Amino acid sequence: MGGLTIGHGAGGRLTEELISLILDRFRKTPLADREDCALLPGGLAVTIDGYTVSPLSFQGGDIGKLSVCGSANDLAVRGARPLFLALGVIAEEGFPLEDLLVYMESASLICDSMDIALVTGDSKVVPRGQADELFLTTCAIGKIEREPVLGVDNLKHGDSILVTCPPGMHGAAIAAARYGLKVHGLASDCAPLWPMVEKVLPLKGLRCMRDCTRGGLGTVLCEWAEASGLGIEIEEEKVPRDEPSLSVCELLGFDPLHMAGEGCAAVAVSAEDAEKAVAILRQHPSGEMASIIGKVTEKHPRLVGIHTISGGTRLVDKPVGELLPRIC
Amino acid sequence: MQDTPSNTPRERIAKLSRALDRIVDRRIKVMEVCGTHTVSIFRQGLRSLLPASLELVSGPGCPVCVTDQAEIDAAVSLARMEGITVATYGDMIKVPGSGTSLLEERSRGMDVRVVTSADQALSLARNCRDRTVVLIAVGFETTAPATASVILDARSEGLENFLVLDLHKSVPPALKTLASDPLVKLDAFLLPGHVSVITGLTPYRFLPEEHGIACAVAGFEAEEIMIGLLETARQVKTGRLAVASLYSRAVRPEGNPAARAVIEKVFTYADAPWRGLGIIPSSGYVIREEFAQFDALKRLDIPLSAVPPPEGCLCGEVLRGLIEPPSCPLFGCECTPNHPVGPCMVSTEGSCAAFLKFHQGGDNPWED
Repeated sequence: MGGLTIGHGAGGRLTEELISLILDRFRKTPLADREDCALLPGGLAVTIDGYTVSPLSFQGGDIGKLSVCGSANDLAVRGARPLFLALGVIAEEGFPLEDLLVYMESASLICDSMDIALVTGDSKVVPRGQADELFLTTCAIGKIEREPVLGVDNLKHGDSILVTCPPGMHGAAIAAARYGLKVHGLASDCAPLWPMVEKVLPLKGLRCMRDCTRGGLGTVLCEWAEASGLGIEIEEEKVPRDEPSLSVCELLGFDPLHMAGEGCAAVAVSAEDAEKAVAILRQHPSGEMASIIGKVTEKHPRLVGIHTISGGTRLVDKPVGELLPRIC
Repeated sequence: MQDTPSNTPRERIAKLSRALDRIVDRRIKVMEVCGTHTVSIFRQGLRSLLPASLELVSGPGCPVCVTDQAEIDAAVSLARMEGITVATYGDMIKVPGSGTSLLEERSRGMDVRVVTSADQALSLARNCRDRTVVLIAVGFETTAPATASVILDARSEGLENFLVLDLHKSVPPALKTLASDPLVKLDAFLLPGHVSVITGLTPYRFLPEEHGIACAVAGFEAEEIMIGLLETARQVKTGRLAVASLYSRAVRPEGNPAARAVIEKVFTYADAPWRGLGIIPSSGYVIREEFAQFDALKRLDIPLSAVPPPEGCLCGEVLRGLIEPPSCPLFGCECTPNHPVGPCMVSTEGSCAAFLKFHQGGDNPWED
């Protein structure tokens, strides 16, 4: 079967193949519904994620902040309030303790801001060269605060598609750091989504939400189209723009729709509630640029199309393989 | 200029699209030479705005796609050698050789690094003196000056652990081959923007003068591409053929003599293999004898033996614009971006990958 490649961890088609192969071995556990987190009996939700970002600090955040935001956001987009956190630390021999504590401090700041309690953890130090500096794993547990439960099964023809901020800002910030590009005003969007999305949960027309991490907004929309059997059309003109990250994408040949965000959610909502949702999202600093970017349609089932600024139309696909390893 | 509602890019492009509709009154075949054009055309959805009688085909302008199988095998065999660090541009890493790819070699523990510039490869060599760093140097006139200049730097610094697997190629000789090919039958070339920044316009004059082919150099924005296509259509219609530059913000008629001087200093011309096009006379930039100490082929004694392309792969026909990617029997089944057979499916600038990514293989589902 060959060895794993970096592409298997990049969040695109190869990752999908890998996950299928793994799930095939767990035939007796039907809970995995392939949303961002799993729903447990008793109205609980759980998710787990590993963080291997390189560099450990970047414009707009660091591995500590990211490790809490990432997992908490996976709960938030399912309408679950993050409550508890388990944290695993794997550090390389010789990694400065002082740096570790800086990252732990920034993780704890995010926990405090949402009243998340760190309830258990684990730490390992491996011999030099057997891990790169620091890897974190967080498992977050939350309580579902939305009935009926949010999920892609709720998508309907005519629904509106929203995005809460310009896509791809985290990926662009990491790419710039990695390739030594200095871009004025460039920063990751790394931020907790719960305080913002909590406010849209009461909207009856809310269908589903996803945070646009690895694979970006494009991948989220493709997964929605495939899972629902519906088509999605978006207008490039309406997608919020962050010029610094667009310039990084242009320079490195990346499609911003494939770049990760870490505080950016795609939101599907009924057409009637769409304007209301935008107004609510815009009240929060992370959602200032929230906008309606497209709609769900019965035409072009399972496909995502974008009407470009030029007036042309093309397909949006998931990225294949490695865009940039270790962004989160 | 402010975009007023009546003057948005979309409106200006719609206007250009209508102008093209009026001018193109017979079937014409235009080849966009440059891979960056290919991607921009797909990404902007421009094909859906062109008249049906304007056939746009992608040419041999993606450096990865035209790299010969034997050259890829050479890069892979380098990666397997003891003490060698291979520095490569991102797209090359996935291209399958006859056996494996650089990516597979890396997952087996070989030292393969992705760089975004020749300079980064040189820095690698400076920083790990106990290994020999080999830059896989692909590309046309756009990247050749950077390779030449790091070779000059390496010599003046006395760096002995830096080598170049030189696969650089020159665009004008390939265009000559296409223009002379009786099967290809082109009416016009949309000439590459970046290459022309270096070459200037003179090396393309033979195309209108000797082969009756219209030529326009265009930039990469949607409007610039549409204007370039309009110019070629206008030339075809009026019969007044020339090499028009519509990318004057970057391309000077004389090109960039300083960059060409650096190329000249380090490289000389030789016949070179192009995937799908065969051996093209004087189309390869090879390292001059004077700089042989940096030539990986010579220093490490790597053979470049001719290898047949993978069975059934029609990348050659695609690169000559003879068929559109979906006409290849491997397209989308045996050959996909996850498991590419030919290089046109590997590179993001490859026309097969672009077709599959933006059109799902067949016609654009959004075109009515």
